[in-house]
Amino acid sequence: MAISVAARLAARRALEPLPLLEGDQDDGTLNKTLLGYVWRRPGKGWLLLVGLGLTGTALLTVAVVITVAKGIGMWGNNIPVAWAFGIINFVWWIGIGHAGTLISAILLLFQQKWRTSINRFAEAMTLFAVLQAALFPVLHTGRPWFAIYWLFPYPSTNRIWPQFKSPLMWDVFAVSTYFITSLLFWYLGLIPDLAALRDSSSKRWMRRVYGIMSFGWRGSARHWHHYKIAYLLLAGLATPLVLSVHTIVSYDFAVSIVPGWHETIFPPYFVAGAVFSGFAMVMTLMVPARRFLRLKHVVTPRHLEAMCKIMLTTSLIVGYGYLMEHFISWYSGNAADFYQYANRRGILHGPFKSAAQDPYIPIFWLMVFCNVVVPSIFWTKWGRTNVYVMWFASILINVGMWCERFVIVVISLHRDYLPSSWTIYKPTWVDLSLLFGTICFFSTLFLLFLKFLPAVAVQEVKELRHELDTEHERHELPEFSQEAIHPMELEVGEEDEQEEKLR
Amino acid sequence: MKRLVLAEFASPEPMVEAARKLRESGRQGLDAYSPYPVHGIDEALKLPRSKVPLMALVAGLTGAAGGYVLQWWTNAVDYLINVANRPAHAWPTNIPVTFESGVLLCALSLFFGTLFYFFRLPRPYHPVFESEEFRSASLDKFWVSAELKEGEDGQDLVRTLRDLGARRVTQVAEET
Amino acid sequence: MPSLKLPIVQAHGDERAQWRSLEERRRGIAAEGEFPPGAAEVGTTSRREFVQLLGATVAFAGTAGCFKIPGEQILPYTRQPEEIVPGRPLHYATSMTLGGRATGLLVTAHEGRPTKVEGNPEHPSSLGATGLFEQASILQLYDPNRAAVLQQNGRPRSWREFLAVQHDRALALRRKDGGAGLRFLLEPGTSPLVADLRARIRTLFPNARFRSYSAVSNDGVARGAQLAFGTVLDTQFDLSKARVIACLEADPLHPWPGSIPAMRAWADKREPGPEMNRLYAVECALSVTGMNSDHRLRIRPSQLAPIALALAAKVGSGQGLLAPLTPVAAKVRLDEKQQRFVDVLAADLRAAGRAGVVIAGPRTSPLVQALAHAINTALASEAARHRKSALHDPDDGAAGLRELATEIRSGTVDTLVVTAVNPVHTAPYDLNLATAFDAVPNSIYRGLYEDETSKRCAWFVPATHPLEEWGDARAHDGTVTFVQPLLQPLLNGITEAQILSAFLGEGDKSPYAMLREYWRSARNDADAAWEKWISDGFIAGTATAPESPQVRMEAVAAAALAARFEVPAGALELNVVPDYRLYDGRFANDVWLQETPDPVTKLTWGNAALMSPATARQLGVDTRDVIDIGLHGPPVHAPVLVIPGHADGAVTVSLGYGRGGAEQNAGGIGFDVAPLRRVDAPWGGSGLTVTKLGRRQPLAITQEHWSMEARDPALDMDLHDFEGRGRERIEDARAPVATMHTPWDYSKVQYKWGMAIDLSRCTGCSACMVACQSENNIPVVGKGNVEKSREMHWLRLDRYFSGSEDDPRAIAQPMLCVHCETAPCEYVCPVNATVHSDEGLNEMVYNRCIGTRYCSNNCPYKVRRFNYFNYTYDVTDLEKLRMNPDVTVRSRGVMEKCTYCVQRIERARIDSRVQERPIAEKEVQTACQQACPSRAIVFGNLHDKQHEVTKKHADERHYYVLNDLGTRPRTAYLARVRNPNPKLT
Repeated sequence: MAISVAARLAARRALEPLPLLEGDQDDGTLNKTLLGYVWRRPGKGWLLLVGLGLTGTALLTVAVVITVAKGIGMWGNNIPVAWAFGIINFVWWIGIGHAGTLISAILLLFQQKWRTSINRFAEAMTLFAVLQAALFPVLHTGRPWFAIYWLFPYPSTNRIWPQFKSPLMWDVFAVSTYFITSLLFWYLGLIPDLAALRDSSSKRWMRRVYGIMSFGWRGSARHWHHYKIAYLLLAGLATPLVLSVHTIVSYDFAVSIVPGWHETIFPPYFVAGAVFSGFAMVMTLMVPARRFLRLKHVVTPRHLEAMCKIMLTTSLIVGYGYLMEHFISWYSGNAADFYQYANRRGILHGPFKSAAQDPYIPIFWLMVFCNVVVPSIFWTKWGRTNVYVMWFASILINVGMWCERFVIVVISLHRDYLPSSWTIYKPTWVDLSLLFGTICFFSTLFLLFLKFLPAVAVQEVKELRHELDTEHERHELPEFSQEAIHPMELEVGEEDEQEEKLR
Repeated sequence: MKRLVLAEFASPEPMVEAARKLRESGRQGLDAYSPYPVHGIDEALKLPRSKVPLMALVAGLTGAAGGYVLQWWTNAVDYLINVANRPAHAWPTNIPVTFESGVLLCALSLFFGTLFYFFRLPRPYHPVFESEEFRSASLDKFWVSAELKEGEDGQDLVRTLRDLGARRVTQVAEET
Repeated sequence: MPSLKLPIVQAHGDERAQWRSLEERRRGIAAEGEFPPGAAEVGTTSRREFVQLLGATVAFAGTAGCFKIPGEQILPYTRQPEEIVPGRPLHYATSMTLGGRATGLLVTAHEGRPTKVEGNPEHPSSLGATGLFEQASILQLYDPNRAAVLQQNGRPRSWREFLAVQHDRALALRRKDGGAGLRFLLEPGTSPLVADLRARIRTLFPNARFRSYSAVSNDGVARGAQLAFGTVLDTQFDLSKARVIACLEADPLHPWPGSIPAMRAWADKREPGPEMNRLYAVECALSVTGMNSDHRLRIRPSQLAPIALALAAKVGSGQGLLAPLTPVAAKVRLDEKQQRFVDVLAADLRAAGRAGVVIAGPRTSPLVQALAHAINTALASEAARHRKSALHDPDDGAAGLRELATEIRSGTVDTLVVTAVNPVHTAPYDLNLATAFDAVPNSIYRGLYEDETSKRCAWFVPATHPLEEWGDARAHDGTVTFVQPLLQPLLNGITEAQILSAFLGEGDKSPYAMLREYWRSARNDADAAWEKWISDGFIAGTATAPESPQVRMEAVAAAALAARFEVPAGALELNVVPDYRLYDGRFANDVWLQETPDPVTKLTWGNAALMSPATARQLGVDTRDVIDIGLHGPPVHAPVLVIPGHADGAVTVSLGYGRGGAEQNAGGIGFDVAPLRRVDAPWGGSGLTVTKLGRRQPLAITQEHWSMEARDPALDMDLHDFEGRGRERIEDARAPVATMHTPWDYSKVQYKWGMAIDLSRCTGCSACMVACQSENNIPVVGKGNVEKSREMHWLRLDRYFSGSEDDPRAIAQPMLCVHCETAPCEYVCPVNATVHSDEGLNEMVYNRCIGTRYCSNNCPYKVRRFNYFNYTYDVTDLEKLRMNPDVTVRSRGVMEKCTYCVQRIERARIDSRVQERPIAEKEVQTACQQACPSRAIVFGNLHDKQHEVTKKHADERHYYVLNDLGTRPRTAYLARVRNPNPKLT
């Protein structure tokens, strides 16, 4: 059986690029495969992972409580390094978030059909990532209990307003807008699938729950009529938004006068970095998900390859950014600027060896390795099609992008203008558990999402399937027998064999 | 009380066809249901051009204007103070917030406006839900619904729909 | 002769002078055996807990107590006390004595509680300025660890019991053998009152014996004078008369007791030009003076004498007074560098003639002192002023202690009265003073804290703080100075005079009565002039007359001939110095001083073994490595701190650390150097053994980076350079930077505040840091947080090195908020928490701040400080009294920084408005400006052409730090110009 499927897949590959949907699907099978697992009992692996996630989340809670109760002093921050893990994690998470919006919005606008299988997934990732990011701006302030509302322009009793020349104010607006918009975008896309869940649910209470969540959607043509436009417009809106958000995040640094921050190149370089890390994170999550959720027929090697290409491109942009920074630091002839980058590269020092050693040089080079060297493996077809390679690469890229933020935030600050205040920053256990904790919290949310909501935009896949079929008819592509075999019924092991064979 | 005739089709094309025929026969209160937007159904039902873009535009502009005015009034009028010797009203620094607030209002209007105004949702109850089979409308089947006039028994309508290739035709009545 | 009266028989009217707590006070005289709560637990609880309990209880009593102004009439400096207006501080003249030298002070009191110490402008030793110790003394007054209870072997006793016991015993001693068993070990003093008491005690107890002791002793000076002049003289240096100054291990540019006038005079002659003075320093460890010298020769301690001899010979060059030295000097071997230095210096001194002076530090050997005297006499130097020493016992070194110790061991001592500060801790180890004290049957110790010494004494008497006592002393020039209390003793303190008077049977006399009576007897104009004296704080025109003694050259030559200079080659030498912050350890519990960085090493919260980079390489150690150092005795563990400019082949350690007393803040900080000191070599010697322990120890250093890395925040140039290319550098550093914004118009407002800091005048002594901390309620963050570089000082002193690592050029730069007109911190604050005032101050709005810390990131000067924790959370009620009510106490999570002392500006504004006149220049002085001994800081209205600050802002040396960032600071710096000898460059 497996062989026959393989043969058929081979036959098709011979005729057209890697397929967007594997096996021949109809709406019924799609429902079964894409919604079915919601009704299955959670597997042991899932429960184990959620357990781990919740443990990490508990640690996060501890760290947050301690920070609020005792003060930022529990972190490693000092003067001059007044920003550190808090901001690093913030930028890292929000950057990760961007890929989601980008995948679903921009690709929708460009009519990239391959988008449909991963956009829901990516959008969810966006939401949860932004959720992690949103934790830090408030938490890192000295008095969060005020920051949480003094940052918003409301007529306060002391008749003082926020100061809109501060990039932090721009941040407040950008991040909150970004979160709300992507939430709405995601939910709007989810409604028809929630309805589908409602209608395919067996138990009465489930039907209730999904019925409420879907607002009573009934797929009326009059609704679809507005729905398509609204969804398209939201996508059109999200696209400039996602660019603006990371541009503004980059302003947090670019608008200041700190050497290593004050750079006109930052907006594009930050956006590229965001897309880079975002796609890496999608990849990190998607590779295992498509296997264990059995989505290989909708998330096909073609999707993965496309993502690899995007990562390659963005890594080139980011690499160019690094190159430019260092070139300009020399070209500008500005002492502070030149020292800043020399210090990052590890080419030190003045006539005196400073009493403080510099432990940060490895981090810079690790960043270069992860963000510039590793992705170049995607030049090869092999790198772009081997799931294991791309998975490890994507993880390394996530690490590299975290290092990039560390380099920008900490290394820039710890040696700025007056050498008298130069010092070394060391994170404390609270810093580390904040980073680790958010990762766990993120994974927990993601696991819950994977269990209780359709990880793939079912209605869009159906639409796509329909379009493809009609295309087949038009192009007189060989019609396939309707025997209802499809990969889900095969053992995962066999599946892999096929993929091996196919390469 | 409202009564509907529901007809289920296996694939989109016959449904579109049926919808068109019914409309051309001058039947009122037509609607179609599908798990995903079906090509051609709009003109089959002769749906008017959607007002959603207009709403979005208005909301977006309002948001942007509001954002700009907010910044100008708070920093340059109501609480004018020397901040780092910068001009109190510096338009370049106002661009980001202006843009963001525009986007925000636009997005809010798109979601809630469409849902609550154009779709008239949330609506947990609708006569079509009276029929169990209708659950397939969000999964893999395609439905057409037509409203029956007062006193009309609808037998001929059922017949027409069967002729148009409906697999299954049922009649539902709104609960009172 | 007066008969001994039993003190208790007739109670003098003055009971309120001693009461232990409010309750007791209300009840009148204390009943027997009534102690503050906690006393009952003796035996059941540990001694330490017991002391803490007492401390706490009495502290609360004190809070209430201190609002009483003393019973006697005390006279305010400017206005009458009876009209205390709430919110209006009063200023009282008083003084603080250190090493027997009194510095006149003006103390600010809010509603009866002293809050700030300033210098007394008319006092010769202060000239309106203060050093670190005076500034920080206010914290000591409110120190909750201060001892509160008079004890006998740990059991609380009342003052009256003490008097009764001591009186009987003294009576017996006197009857026995005229008090042969009575010994006094006093803090070096110059108080006329104490002198009188001593005299009277000697008449009663002919065989009693008085000695003084201080770890930072004066005996070297005394013996040097003895050798040179045949009599003990004290020498001060009037640097306003000096054009060439040579310092041999002398440190006149740090505000040690009595050196403020020298600092002022030196700074006054640093204006670039022909009149500019030239400073040579010969020393082992880089000192504040060394940092400011025009030429510096780093030598091992053993090389000082030969160099002094060679210098003397060279200056004499075979003729005149110094002729006898020429043959002796032949035996001296100097290396090429030293020889060149000596030749040039000698030539310069000869050229300067009467305007030349050689200063030998108090730690140098009598021979070096004598040689310095000889040179000064030969030059007929006008700068050197010899006076009869005002000290009761000029020979206050360890030698006296040794005699005492032998007397004790021979069993002749029955009663020992100790008012010297903590001799058991500071005495050289070979005396083993602790065991000696144990052997004394009846030992009495008066101290501020229950320290190492109190543990060894039968009786412990809590001491008064200078701000709590009536007394007198003499200034560095002998001027009679008064000590006036600002409040009742908070914690039952007893003055030194009271203790002495106990042996005259007058222990129940109030300190005021004693002082008054003495002066009535001493001067017949006392009654008439008393009020003026007290309110001025001193008696004008009582300075001791200078003498011009003859140098006994043959004696000096003989001593030089007898001296042995050769040291085993390669032997490592030890150099012990008094600590810049803790003096001899008496300030160890003063957290302000603990957290003030050492002016040279920038080390806080501890001491370290200082050595040059070369020596460190040779020993294979680096900063933070822990080593064992020993000098013919038990070794001590010390962390290494490599510091450029230190002499090779020597290690420097400072006094005052490794304390084991009841002081909570002092315990476990640094290491005790006593094991390295011996009576005959208290300041070190050769043959130091060093072993690396392989451990590392964190050091709380506030500045890790030495180089300016081409940013040149502190411009430092030689005179000839200044007349050439240097001027361009300065002009570049103040050239206006192009900007898109139209500058804010300040011409409308009446005041445009600004500051100017003259780097040529600033010595880096750090007095301003403590002054700022005291004025602005700046919290102390503790060792751990300083290691994390979270210190809160609004004003810090940056110290940079340039040139070679072995022999660098060092410069100190006070760095505080420069109040940029285009402040980078402001536009990044999202909540308008830091904005500009209409007069151009960069203001920090604490209660609006949410603590994003963005402003700090964007501050190129990094002068903003953040409250990472709630540092003022657990301040005891006693400490709260210290707070300046005009300055907000900041809470957690808030950014703070220098405000140009806005509270002082506002007070002056109120006064000027009331009187409908503009604010005068002298009315607004920032705390740092007021404290600065060398007048390096000026502040004022840039709109007023008459104001000094305006003139400095027009000075050809003025520039702005990081000018090219276009921040347009309101604080201008004046480039440092040095005056090196062309022959040496």
